[in-house]
Amino acid sequence: MASDKSDLLQGTLDMLVLKIVALEPVHGYGIAQRIQQISREVLQVQQGSLYPALHRLEKRGWLKADWRESETGREAKFYSLTRLGRKQLDAETANWDRLAGAVELILKTAE
Amino acid sequence: MFFRKKLERRLESEIDYHIERVTQSYVAQGMDAHEARRQALLEFGGATQIREDLRDVHRSRWLADLRQDLAYAARTLRRSPGFLACAVMTLGLGIGANTAIFSLIDALMLRPMPVVHDPARLVQISRMIPEHCEDCRISYPLFEYFRDRLSSVSGAFIVMDIAHEITVDGVDENVNADEVSGASYSALGLAPAAGRLLGPEDDAAPTPVAVISYDYWRRRFGLNPAAIGKSIVYANTALTIVGVEPEGFEGIEPWRTRDFTAPLSMTDRLGGGNGGWKRQWDLNFFEMMARLKPGVSIARANAEIASVFGVWRTDKARELPGPFYRQRFLKERALAMPGLAGLNGLRVDFIKPLGILMGIVALVLLLACANLSGLLLARASSRQREISIRRAIGAGNGRLTRQFLAESLLLAACGAIAGLAIAQWFGRALVTMMANGDQLPLGVSPDWRIFAFTGAISLLACIFAGLAPGLSAGRVSVNPALKETRAGGGHRSLGRLLVVAQLAISMTLLVGAGLFIRTLVKLYSVDTGIRRGGIFVFNLNAKHHFPPERSVEIQTAIVDRLRSLPGVTFATAANMLPLTGGLWTRQVQPEGYTFHAGEDDSAAFNSIAPQYFGVTGTPLLLGRDFNQRDTETASPVAIVSQTFARAFFGGQPPLGRHVTSNKVTYEVVGVAKDAKYEGLRQGVPRTMYIPWVQQGDMALENRSQPMGYTYLARVASGDPMRLSALVAHAIPEIEPAMHMWNPQTLDAYVNRSMLNERMMATLGGFFGLLALIVACLGIFGILAFQVSRRTNEIGVRVALGATRNDIVRLVMREVTMLLAPGCAIGAVCAVWLARFANSFLFGVTSTDPAALALAAGTLAVSTLAAGFLPALRAARIDPMAALRCD
Repeated sequence: MASDKSDLLQGTLDMLVLKIVALEPVHGYGIAQRIQQISREVLQVQQGSLYPALHRLEKRGWLKADWRESETGREAKFYSLTRLGRKQLDAETANWDRLAGAVELILKTAE
Repeated sequence: MFFRKKLERRLESEIDYHIERVTQSYVAQGMDAHEARRQALLEFGGATQIREDLRDVHRSRWLADLRQDLAYAARTLRRSPGFLACAVMTLGLGIGANTAIFSLIDALMLRPMPVVHDPARLVQISRMIPEHCEDCRISYPLFEYFRDRLSSVSGAFIVMDIAHEITVDGVDENVNADEVSGASYSALGLAPAAGRLLGPEDDAAPTPVAVISYDYWRRRFGLNPAAIGKSIVYANTALTIVGVEPEGFEGIEPWRTRDFTAPLSMTDRLGGGNGGWKRQWDLNFFEMMARLKPGVSIARANAEIASVFGVWRTDKARELPGPFYRQRFLKERALAMPGLAGLNGLRVDFIKPLGILMGIVALVLLLACANLSGLLLARASSRQREISIRRAIGAGNGRLTRQFLAESLLLAACGAIAGLAIAQWFGRALVTMMANGDQLPLGVSPDWRIFAFTGAISLLACIFAGLAPGLSAGRVSVNPALKETRAGGGHRSLGRLLVVAQLAISMTLLVGAGLFIRTLVKLYSVDTGIRRGGIFVFNLNAKHHFPPERSVEIQTAIVDRLRSLPGVTFATAANMLPLTGGLWTRQVQPEGYTFHAGEDDSAAFNSIAPQYFGVTGTPLLLGRDFNQRDTETASPVAIVSQTFARAFFGGQPPLGRHVTSNKVTYEVVGVAKDAKYEGLRQGVPRTMYIPWVQQGDMALENRSQPMGYTYLARVASGDPMRLSALVAHAIPEIEPAMHMWNPQTLDAYVNRSMLNERMMATLGGFFGLLALIVACLGIFGILAFQVSRRTNEIGVRVALGATRNDIVRLVMREVTMLLAPGCAIGAVCAVWLARFANSFLFGVTSTDPAALALAAGTLAVSTLAAGFLPALRAARIDPMAALRCD
């Protein structure tokens, strides 16, 4: 089971986090869950990199955080996207598309 | 700190939440609760590591790096203590001197009077007589004239400082006091701390009351309310204390703090006058202040004052005898000056010297910055290797630049601290110098604005110099520098430029110092007509006035007693002292002389006791001295000066001629050599000496009092001041109501009259010397550095047959190349700047060749000497070692 899981590519974690937070305000545990669920358990997020990434994004002004009651009734830190974050997400998505397209092109032509 | 704790707590609870949720999901899958938590923790990984990473995100990286940079900078600086000491001292002097002098300027003329309401609207209105004074006092009639006619000001009032021998509760003491007109306190917007202040009602009739200052209240009465109602006995008059001025108010004279204030209406009773001050428009005793009306600018007030004074001038000029006085009087002007810091007396005295000193210290600061920049540049170049190593192990450009910035910052901070200490010390020294033996209650606390300003300038200099190598560090490619090929650095020419600048500034300061010192020397060598060494002088203070017969008795007794003191060869008294600035002029009509229209018909008078010429050492050229037979009832006699005799008697023998003045005809019985009275710079006046007992022309109440004379005694040898204790003891024996005041030597008196010149020469010389040292350090630094960089070039030259002399010459040529333009630029600047100091110069011009040559010579010799050491080191370079070095 473990061998099926892939580690995230360096630099893509930020983009994924932004994308997930863009849907609705969510806490750190939720983000880790979503990434795994949406990627159908393929992508494994290391908590060791998730939380520093969240704090870094918050510090850069892409995410804002507030403490509110979670679905379990306990206080949790919910992250949501700022306008700056939205812009960043667009830019990173576009960038990713370009990169992915290029990689695919190379792989196809090489066949 | 609080913020940090809160951050920690929040981090903790965020992580907790995550672990709890994971645990719950495992429990939902059927895992045992304990095992589920263990698994969740395991999965989360090194929680401590994550916490540390999270903290890293929040902790400012920049700050941490800065701390590291500063620590590294401190270590590097400690490794070169010579450089550190030199840089910090130079900077400290620049910052300190500027701060001290600006603080003084601020204290004298910019700092608003405390407690006073809206001091910025206050003005001082005074007369200005060209080449005589800018803030001449005014007469009571002129005050009334202004008060009643000026529409641009309100609340006009006048002040006069009075003598200060009082008795309170039976205890005698010396205090500072003023007399003020009624509007004074309301114009200043002051409210009493206790009792009442003076008001217009005190003007109407003589009211024997006094208001004391808060400080005197505290000092003398311990803030006891019972002080009100007590009496201050002054000049045989008891003044009842009616109130206390507000706390913090120190009077309106920035150079003294007054202890009590009496109404102007008491002038006659306190000063023994007869109301003449109120009627006579030529008795200029008062200083006037007023408040600008709302919306009126000082320029508009001045326009009105000029036109109102114009009418007064034309009016009064008619009363003057003869065109000479009329023309002189018509040159007078009146003007309003800002009064926010109080009266302008000291400002007028010191604004020019302080302004020039400010210019000098600004140059010193510039010099300090240039020197520091040069040092930093040289240092940075010699650190190319270190920079390359740091780059090689991965330091970024930004990081390197920041490293240099940190060093600059540290240097500037140390310099600022040194500057603050120097400012304190220097400020105190300056005030002592300006007080000139008196007391000058000026605050010398450093002014923070100027401290910040000079600090910022030095910081900028540091940053500029620190950054240049930092920036060029980016251009250093790792390889060649590591191989230490000694290619010429990019900032070599900048370094040379800085040395030329330092030499030019030093040259300017040295020329200035030369001019000021030569001025002082010339002043001291002026022929004054008197021998001023060995003369003891003093004045008298009395509690009240004496009737005329008693006055003569006392005066004669004092002079007789002086003559009997051991070691005294001559003793006398005079109402005008040579070289001290005073001049008492009266109109004269010499026998057989016709004045042409507009000619000055006045002569300087001096009322003297016998032996005057013995004391001053002024030779009597013809005739005799006054003696015991020249009594009040004997026929009036006079001694005239050489210049007087030449001007009015031409080639005729002067003895036996007559001179009439104020309806008394004097027979000339002697001719004395010329002596200076006004000061060393001024010419000799046409002087007429008359015996002090012959005052037949004076109304009885106007006759002079013993206090109106200065008493002089010449001693054969030793310090004249040893007479002081003897005289102090003798005076009360002669008259109990009197005591000695202001004892000193005539030499000290004259020295004091040259305060500004001495100050300029001392400080000019000091800063000139300082500049010389700094410039030498600069040139030494740059040469030593260049020699070390050119080691292998020199090695090659020596290997190719250059002798030691050749090498020394090579380096010395370098010095000359820097020295020549430095001297030239400095000389031009000095000549240009010296125009501003022209009024301080005496016997020299701003282009004085001797001062220029002296400065250039001193600078050349010192810099050549400074350059000789590195040159010698270059000459000692062993070619083999030099070549193997790479």
